[in-house]
Amino acid sequence: MSRATLGLIVLGWVGFALLPWYGFDRNASLEFSDYVIGGSALAHGLRGAWWLLPVLAPLLMALRPVIFPSSSNGTWLAASGFVGLALIILEGFSIGLNGWTLDALKSFVSDPGPSQTGVGYGAALTSASFLIILCHGLAARGWCRGDAFVTSSIGVVIALIVVFVFFPVSTILASAFADNSGNFAPSEFIVKFLDRSIWGLDCLWGDLRCGVAWNTLFLGLLVGVGTTALGLAFALIATRTDFRFKKVLRVMSVLPIITPPFVIGLALILIFGRSGALSAVLWEWFGVPRSRWIYGLPGVFIAQLLAFTPIAFLVLIGVVQGISPTLEEASQTLRAKSWTTFWTVTLPLMRPGLANAFLLGFVESLADFGNPLVLGGNYEVLSTKIFFAVVGAQQDQGRAAVLSIILLAFTLGAFWLQHAWLGKKVYTTVTGKGDAGIPLPLPRRVALASYFTAVPWAVFTLGVYAIILVGAFVRSMGRDYTLTLEHFLTAFRVESTGAGLYFSGSAWDSFFATMKVAALSAPLTAAIGLLTAYLLTRQRFSGQRAFEFGTLLSFAIPGTVVGVSYILAFNVPPIEITGTGFILVMCFVFRNMPVGVRSGIATLSQIDKSLDEASLTLGARSATTMRRVVLPLLRPAIVASLVYSFVRAMTAVSAVIFLVTAEYNMATTYIVGRVEAGEFGLAIAYSTVLIVVMLFAIVAIQLAVGERRLGRRSASAAPSPVAVQAIP
Amino acid sequence: MNQATSISTLARPTAFKKPAASVEFRNVTKRYGAVTAVDSVSFTIPPGQLVTLLGPSGCGKTTTLRMIAGLEMASSGQILIGGRDVTNLSAADRDVSMVFQSYALFPHMSVLENVAYGPSVQGVPKKDAYGMAMEKLELIGLKGLEKRAPSELSGGQQQRVAVARALVLEPQVLLFDEPLSNLDAKLRRRVREDIRELQQSLNLTVAYVTHDQEEALAVSDHIIVMSNARIAQTGAPRELYEEPANLFVADFIGDANIISGELVSVAGPTAQVRIGNVSLQLPHRGASQGAVKLAVRPDAILLDEGTASTGALAGAVRKASYLGTQVEYDVESSIGDLFVVQFGRKEPVAPGTPVAISFVTNRGVAIIPDA
Amino acid sequence: MKLKRNFVAATMLAGTMAALSFMSAGAAQAQGALVMYCGVQEEWCRAMTTAFERETGIKVSMTRKSAGEVFAQIKAEAANPRADIWWGGTGDPHMQAAEEGLTLEYKSPKMGELQDWAVRQWEQSKNRTVGIYSGALGFGYNTELAKSNNIGEPKCWADLLKAELKDEVQVADPNSSGTAYTLLATIVQLMGEDKGFEYLKALHKNINQYTKSGAAPAKAMALGETTAGIAFMHDIVTMVVDKAPVKVVAPCEGTGYEIGSMSIIKGAKNLENAQKFYDWALTADAQKIGAEAKSYQVPSNKSTPVPPQAPKLSDIKLITFDFAKYGSSEERKRLLSKWDNEVKNLPK
Repeated sequence: MSRATLGLIVLGWVGFALLPWYGFDRNASLEFSDYVIGGSALAHGLRGAWWLLPVLAPLLMALRPVIFPSSSNGTWLAASGFVGLALIILEGFSIGLNGWTLDALKSFVSDPGPSQTGVGYGAALTSASFLIILCHGLAARGWCRGDAFVTSSIGVVIALIVVFVFFPVSTILASAFADNSGNFAPSEFIVKFLDRSIWGLDCLWGDLRCGVAWNTLFLGLLVGVGTTALGLAFALIATRTDFRFKKVLRVMSVLPIITPPFVIGLALILIFGRSGALSAVLWEWFGVPRSRWIYGLPGVFIAQLLAFTPIAFLVLIGVVQGISPTLEEASQTLRAKSWTTFWTVTLPLMRPGLANAFLLGFVESLADFGNPLVLGGNYEVLSTKIFFAVVGAQQDQGRAAVLSIILLAFTLGAFWLQHAWLGKKVYTTVTGKGDAGIPLPLPRRVALASYFTAVPWAVFTLGVYAIILVGAFVRSMGRDYTLTLEHFLTAFRVESTGAGLYFSGSAWDSFFATMKVAALSAPLTAAIGLLTAYLLTRQRFSGQRAFEFGTLLSFAIPGTVVGVSYILAFNVPPIEITGTGFILVMCFVFRNMPVGVRSGIATLSQIDKSLDEASLTLGARSATTMRRVVLPLLRPAIVASLVYSFVRAMTAVSAVIFLVTAEYNMATTYIVGRVEAGEFGLAIAYSTVLIVVMLFAIVAIQLAVGERRLGRRSASAAPSPVAVQAIP
Repeated sequence: MNQATSISTLARPTAFKKPAASVEFRNVTKRYGAVTAVDSVSFTIPPGQLVTLLGPSGCGKTTTLRMIAGLEMASSGQILIGGRDVTNLSAADRDVSMVFQSYALFPHMSVLENVAYGPSVQGVPKKDAYGMAMEKLELIGLKGLEKRAPSELSGGQQQRVAVARALVLEPQVLLFDEPLSNLDAKLRRRVREDIRELQQSLNLTVAYVTHDQEEALAVSDHIIVMSNARIAQTGAPRELYEEPANLFVADFIGDANIISGELVSVAGPTAQVRIGNVSLQLPHRGASQGAVKLAVRPDAILLDEGTASTGALAGAVRKASYLGTQVEYDVESSIGDLFVVQFGRKEPVAPGTPVAISFVTNRGVAIIPDA
Repeated sequence: MKLKRNFVAATMLAGTMAALSFMSAGAAQAQGALVMYCGVQEEWCRAMTTAFERETGIKVSMTRKSAGEVFAQIKAEAANPRADIWWGGTGDPHMQAAEEGLTLEYKSPKMGELQDWAVRQWEQSKNRTVGIYSGALGFGYNTELAKSNNIGEPKCWADLLKAELKDEVQVADPNSSGTAYTLLATIVQLMGEDKGFEYLKALHKNINQYTKSGAAPAKAMALGETTAGIAFMHDIVTMVVDKAPVKVVAPCEGTGYEIGSMSIIKGAKNLENAQKFYDWALTADAQKIGAEAKSYQVPSNKSTPVPPQAPKLSDIKLITFDFAKYGSSEERKRLLSKWDNEVKNLPK
C-alpha cells in the first residue's frame, strides 16, 4: 500500500463525511456548518437521503487493504473504486431536481420520488478519489507495466473526456434523430440529411449553388493545403536560413492567431471591398472596375489563410528543428544533391508535422465561424448554417445536429486519412545518441520558393494590421479619418475617485473575465493535452484508438453545437455548472486540447522512446520521467499549446455565446455586439488592446517555458543560438 | 503494494555494497496480440555472473531483456530478481539498470547530469549525486569530460557514459542491449573486455543481449541461445561450442560442418560412429543406433597432403585463403564440402592438391542429439 | 518517493478543483436579484440596467444576446431556467417562446398606457409577451453611389426591381435573420402569396448577397459596399446619425414592422423582481432611454416622446401585420422552404 493510495482513500472519506455533497443554492446564506460535516453525504444520508448511504460500502471496501495488506490488495482497490463510481453515477443520474428522471422509475417506485441538486465539492472529491483508487488497483494488478501514474492519468483523462466531451455531445447528437417536440423520428433524420441544399452539385453544370457540404469540404482542403505550405515556408526560413528579418517574420506570422474574430474580415473588407482602399487605388489609377469579389470563397479563403497559417507554423517549426542533421548529411554523402536531399530525406521526415499541420488547418477551416459570417457572401459553409439553424428564423435544433454530424464525419475522415498516410513508419530523429551534424542550408530553389511565398504574405499581413491599427484611432474607418481616442475611452476609461480607481469603461468587465478564464484554461489545456499525447505515443493500452478519437471529437464539432450541448448537459443535476466561469474554462480546455495533443504527438514521435525507458530503469517513475526527460524535450510543443489555448480562450466566439453570463461575459461576445451595432471603431479598438495583451502573454510564456536544448550545433554562422526560438 | 522495500534501499546513497542478485524466469510468455515473442521461457542467472542472451534478430532475446527491466510486462509466468517476485512491478521499482543500444543519453543534459540522473531522481541531494557520478566517470575513464554535451563525445565515449549512468546506482542487475553494435571492430573488443572486467571486479549480475556469437563467447559465464521465441540451449561458452544440443545451435555458434554419420554401437558413455570409411569414438549424448548428424568444427578437421590411408577420408583442396593467424580451406570430399581452418605458420596447401582428411576426436566433433 | 508518483495527476486534479471552487464561488455570490437576457444593442441594455438599479435598488445581472440566441438558450435551459426576464429583441422568437410555453402570462397595470399594436401583441400571445417598441421595415440607399450609378431616388418596393440596380441590393437571408423573414411575410401580406413570390424572384436578380445578419445591409450601405439595402429603418437611421451618406426610405406601397417584445421566463427564480421590471419597462421614463442610447425605434408607451430622428410611424403606411399567423412555426417553415426552393436557388 503506497502512501499515495492511502491518501486517496482518506480523501474519499473526507469528500463523503466532511465536505458538502451538493452544490449550494445560489441565493442561500451559508453558515460554517454548511461547509463542514453538516452538508456532507453522511449527514444527508442519515437525515433521509437514503440513496447516498450505499456509497459507504465501497469506502469500507477500500479500507480492507489498509488493515489487512495482502497480495489481493489490487483487486480490492479496483473493486472498491469501480463500485463507488458506479453507485455515484447511478444515484446521480436517476434522481434529478424534480424526482426520478426515468419515467419507468416514476411509475414503478413512486411519483415524483426524491429530489436532489447538482454535485458539490464533496461529491466531486469522492468521485475523483474512487476513480484514482480504481486506477491504483489496476496498476497493482499489473496493468500498464504496473505504473500507477500511467493508469491514473489514463483514468483521469478518459473520465474528463467522457464528462466534458462525450456526455454533452451525445445529448445534442441525439436530437438529430428527434423531431421538434423531442420524439424519436429517424425518418426526419433521413429527410434532413439528404437535403439538396447540403449535397446538391448544381454548380458543376449551371449557374446554381452547390450543396453546403461540398462548399465546406472544398474550402477546408484549400485552406489545409494553403496553411501547410505557408507554415512550412515560414518554418524553413525561421530555422534554416540567415534571413535578416527572421524575427519580424515570426511576429508577423503569429499576429493573426491573436486577432479576435471579425477583425481580419473587417480589415479585408476595408482593403478589398468595393469601396476599400486598394479597390479605390486600382480604380482611380488603373481603371480596374470595383467589384465584390472579396465576398464569397476568395474572401473566406484569404481570411482563413491569414488566421490559421500561424497554427501550421507553430506545429512545423518544432518538427523542422527536430530533424536530425545527420540524416541529411548521410544523404549528401551518398552524393545526393541538396535539392534531392531536401526532397527525399528532409521533406519525408517532416511528414508527421505536415500531416498534423494540414489536419489542423482543415479542421480549423471547417469549424471557423467568424470569417464566413463576415465575408461568406453567398458562399455558404456548414458552420454558419449550423449557427443559424439554432438561432436563426428556423429554430431547428435537429437540423443543426444533422449538419453537425456531417461536419464531424469530414473531420474524422481527415483524421483517418492522416493515419493511413503516415502509416507505421518511424520518424524518430531525436535519439539518445548525440547528433553532431550541422543542419543543411536550404537548397536555393526551396529557399527562393520560401522567400517568395513568405515575404509577400508577411507584407500583406502587415498591411492588414496597419488597417486595424488605424481603425482603432480614427472616428470611422472608410469615411471619417479624424484621429481620436474616443473608442478607447468608451471601452477602457479609468476614473480616479476618492475611493480609488474606478474602471468605468464599458469593456472592463468582459476584459477581466476573459483574462481570468484564459489564464486558468491555458495551463490546464496544455497539461491535459500533452499528458494525452504522452499516453497516446508512449503507452500501449487497449482502446487507444477510441481514446484518441475522443480527444478529437470536441474539436471537430462546431462551437455553436458545443455551446448548446453544454447547456443541455450541464444545466441540470448531477453536474450543474451553467452560469459559472468553470463551464467556460472546461469548454475551452476541451475545445483546444486537440492542438496540445497534436503538437505533442508530432514532437514526441521524434523523440526516441529509449530515452524514457532509460529514465525508468534508473528508478525514475513515469511522473518524474515526464518532468525531467520528456517535458524539457517537449518545450516547443508546450509553448505551442499554451499559446494556442490562451489565445483561443481570448478569441473564440461561437461556443461561448451560449455560455456567457452577466458575470462572465467574454471579450469576443462584447466585440460581436459592437460589430452588430456597426460600431467598428470600438470593436477594432478593443481588439487592438486584446492583441497587445496577447503579445505580452506570448512573450511571457516563451520566457517561462524556455528553450529546448538538444546540444546541436547551429547552422547559421550567427553567434546567437537563442535566435532559433525567440518568439514562437 | 508490497513493493516499498526496494525503493527505500535505492533511495539511500551507496553507503554499503549490495550483494549481487539472481534473475529467474519461470515459464514466462510474452504475447503481442497473435504474435508470441517469448514462449514459456525458464532460466536462472546466478548472482555475480554475466549471462548472454544470444540469437538471431527476432528470436525474442531483446523482449526477454526488456522483461527483466520491467519495460515489458510478461503475459504469463513469473519473474524473480534476488528471489523476489517482480512480475507486476514497474521498471522504476526494480533494482535494475540498462545500457541501451542507442545509449539513450538525454540530449538536454550534460554528461555529468546524465550520470547523476539516477541518484538525483531517487532524492539524493544534488551534491552527493554529482559526487557519485564523478566517481563512476572516473572509474570509466571519462573524468574531465563531464561538462560536455553527449553530442560532443565520440561513439565510444558516449557508450561509456551510458555504462557509467547505469552503474551509478550500483544495481542488483545490469542489463546490456547490444551495447557494442555502434562501435568499430577494434573498439568493440576493448569495450567488451572493459565490461567483463567491470562486471567481475564489481561482482555484478549482468544480462547481455547480442546477436554476435563471437562477442557472446568472449564475455559470458553462461550463454542462453534463443531461437523462435524459445531457448535453444543454455550452457557455458565451451559447452555450446563443443556440444551443441541441436542443429540450430551448432550452426549459429561458430562455424560448423554438419555431416551425416552412422552410429554403429553404444558402449557406456561412448558410441562408435562411422563417417564414410572412418570410425570415431564419441560421447553418445543420448543418441541411439542408426543415422546421426555430427557437428564438426573447422579446426577439428586435419588435412594431410597426399592420398588418404586408413582412418582418413580422401579429398581435395578447392580454395585456400590466407588470413594471417590462420588458413581457411574449402575441401571437396566424399562426405560433402567441408570448411576447414588450420592454425600455425604452415605453408598453405595449394588448391587442387589431394589431401587426407582426419578428425580430432577429443574436441570439436560432437553428435547432435536433437537432429 | 511515493508521493511523487502521482505528482502530475494530483497537480492536475488540484488545479481543476481550485478552478472549480474559485469560479463557482464567484458565480454564487454574484447572482443578482434579477437575471435579464437583453436582446437589443449593448448600450441600450446597459442604460436600462443602470436606470432600473438606480430606481429600485435591485441588482440586475444582464447578458446581451441576439433574439435568436436568447430563444435557443431559454429553450435549452427550460429544465432549470437561469434567467428571470427577457427584454427586447424582435417579436417572433418571443411569440414562439409563448407558443412553446417557455414564458409566463402576466398582466401589467401599465397596459392601459400602451399603443394598440403593443396590446395586440400581448393578446395574440395569450398574455405572455408584450410590445415595448416597434420599428418599420424599409430600405435605404447610399446617396453617393446612387448618384454615380444614376439610379435616381427609389421610393417604392417596385423601384428596387429596376435594371440599374442589378447586383446592387442587399438583404439578409430569411433562414438566418428575423428581419428578412419580416420582409418575406410583409411582401406576402402586401401582394398576396403568388404575386409576392413573383416579386421576390424578380428582386433575386438584383440581390448581390443574402447576408446572415439582418442589420448587415445597413452597414454595407454605409461603407459603400452596396447601393441599396433592405433592413429595419431604425438600423439604417443609426448609420445616418453616424453621418454615413445614406438615405432612409419608407416604401410607398406600405410596409411591415417588428414589435420588440418583453417576456417573463417560466420558472423565474426572482418572479417578483421580474414583474417589477416588467411594469417599470413599460413606463414612459424607462422607454425614453432608447433614444438616449442611440436606438431609434418607436416606443410602445403612448406618452413616451418619439425621438426626432426616428422614422415617424404616422408618415409610414403600415400594413396590418398578422403576427399570430406569420409567427407560428408551421407557417414559418412552409414559407421558408418555399423561398428556399423557388427563390434562393434560382439562377441570376
